Amino acid sequence: MKILHLYHDLMNLYGDYANVSAMKRILEKSGERVELDRLSLGDNADFKNCDFIFIGSGTEKNQRVALKDFKKYGKALKDYIDSGKVILMTGNSFEMLGKTITDAHGQSFDGLGLLDFGVTEQNKTRLTADVIFDCDFLTQPVVGFVNKCSEITGADKTLFSVRMGLGNKDGDKREGVRLNNCFGTHVTGPVLIKNPHFLCYLAETILGRKPESDWMTYERAGYEVTLRELSGRLNAE
Amino acid sequence: MKKFFTILICKLLRFAGKLIGKGSSKPGQVALKLCPDILSRVQLPKYIIAVTGSNGKTSTVEMIAHILTQNGKSVAWNKEGSNQIEGVTTLVLDSSTLGGKVKSDILLIESDERFARYTFKYIKPTHYVITNLYRDQLTRNGHPEWVYEALLDSITDGTQLILNADDPLVSSFAEGRKDVVWFGADKLSSDTPTLESVYNDGAYCPVCKAPMTYSTHHYNHIGHYRCTACGYHRHDTQYTITSVDLDKGEMTIDGKHTITLALKSLYNIYNILSAYTVASIVGVDGAKIAADMNNYVLKNGRVITFTLGSRKGTLLTSKHENSISYDQSLRVASAYKQGCDVLIIVDAVSRKYFTSDVSWLYDIDFDMLNNKNVHQIVLAGKYVNDLAVRFSYTDIPNDRIKLFEDIGEAADHLNSDRKEYIYAITCFSDKGKLLAKVKGE
Repeated sequence: MKILHLYHDLMNLYGDYANVSAMKRILEKSGERVELDRLSLGDNADFKNCDFIFIGSGTEKNQRVALKDFKKYGKALKDYIDSGKVILMTGNSFEMLGKTITDAHGQSFDGLGLLDFGVTEQNKTRLTADVIFDCDFLTQPVVGFVNKCSEITGADKTLFSVRMGLGNKDGDKREGVRLNNCFGTHVTGPVLIKNPHFLCYLAETILGRKPESDWMTYERAGYEVTLRELSGRLNAE
Repeated sequence: MKKFFTILICKLLRFAGKLIGKGSSKPGQVALKLCPDILSRVQLPKYIIAVTGSNGKTSTVEMIAHILTQNGKSVAWNKEGSNQIEGVTTLVLDSSTLGGKVKSDILLIESDERFARYTFKYIKPTHYVITNLYRDQLTRNGHPEWVYEALLDSITDGTQLILNADDPLVSSFAEGRKDVVWFGADKLSSDTPTLESVYNDGAYCPVCKAPMTYSTHHYNHIGHYRCTACGYHRHDTQYTITSVDLDKGEMTIDGKHTITLALKSLYNIYNILSAYTVASIVGVDGAKIAADMNNYVLKNGRVITFTLGSRKGTLLTSKHENSISYDQSLRVASAYKQGCDVLIIVDAVSRKYFTSDVSWLYDIDFDMLNNKNVHQIVLAGKYVNDLAVRFSYTDIPNDRIKLFEDIGEAADHLNSDRKEYIYAITCFSDKGKLLAKVKGE
């Protein structure tokens, strides 16, 4: 199998790279031979040969640099997503899928337009929060941390519902975007390590069978501790 | 009259606060309420030296104060490191006469990166040191470029910038400015030709975002860099570490002043260099500064030696949510040739605010501990499972790692007849839990 980690050196702000390590491990433990391609600006990735694509979060400036390069993949990405293959985009990387990104100075940048949402950034307040998110395809919630400066409007195909933390915009109880097996969330960092059940779900989608998951003892224990801590916090509020 | 009363009240609150052991931000907070522009009504000294940056602020400020005081200058400074506007207000008013004149020759301010723009609206530094900008407390700070933008607002004309030339993002504060003094390190024997870090914050030019190349790395993305497109590059330095020998514990500044290091870390040499630079600018002779820094042991309690039963150890206070701080401590432990055990504790991510985020563990280069100098690794605290998972992504053999959720049990485990030195690496938020179990020296 082939994993593509795109913009690995440009969009990797909160330890996001570890999602790729986790996916490689679960696929290998499940008996697959895995090839990992780490590509960046100016490279020419062939999405057709990929089984999993990952892009992580970056600074606002870096996202713009990535976006300029990412546009060349518009058609290839649409085909990839239409074919039902899996791509995960964490942090502000998934913002590139929408119509436009407007920065804090009012300048607008066209996104890939695969989804119908708009992004508006500001530079006054960093929007951060520990989060608990629910969704219908997982039996347990997703935990993690959101770290952003933007609001998403007009996203109708969302990924999570907000139990605790920040949604796509102020007051919005929905978070992220989903299109087939393209998953976009503002949760940053190693979300697939913090949420072993989410990793299993994506791996099962990629493999078409149940992945090997007996090895995840500490992952599961770590998840339980975080869920307990966050739930305690939520109940105290 | 308003000024007089505000200063008086601040002084009284400070005096009372000291008696009952309270922190130094409350008096300033009250003063700012009584008279919001009080800072602009005070007569400030000739030298107002500000220090900010992700890492090393408190240590650098302490060293500057030490050198200047040793050389007959009177210095008002925020000893307790309360570095937001309230703490700075307390410092200024408590150091003033009731008429509002700061009594010291020098006002020395440690400032929080995100709040500098508010503090320096009223108190314009004459000299402004920026040590570095790293991934630090990103759950609050966003990211280094976000902090850069906030700091940019705090710099005004008429301030001399004193910048770390080896940090590409910090150096870009000089773009479009003239009055800049540079400090940094020549190529050192401890340098590496390639990056040794899990991530690369020097991959792209901070000015034009084209790829950068490095001729040498001092540590992480700190080194000698050049942009492949716009030509942005490391500046030549006026104050320079010309050589360092971490095994021997020596550094040399400007090729002539050799200083013996109480703490053999690259961090420490940068802190000493920035203190050297400031003291030189204020007019202290280089040889005198070197003498004052010789074997200087920081008093801020960040490095503490201890005994645990028959064993000796050092606590290297590192910052959770700050991978470079951890990398530095790991480097110290992994260089200990006589052999050491390493204890790492992650129990409360922060003492000041709540978060359960441990993403930052993935930015730390724990593989540095995969080395013959490091024998056993003990992981402890509430987030021990997350530490265990993080270590499973290193090449360190499993049988060298012990896990304890309870910090007391981890300390009991280490209280054995093993001969190895102990390096304990953890944060302010968690160090007390260890110190309760050991004997300080």
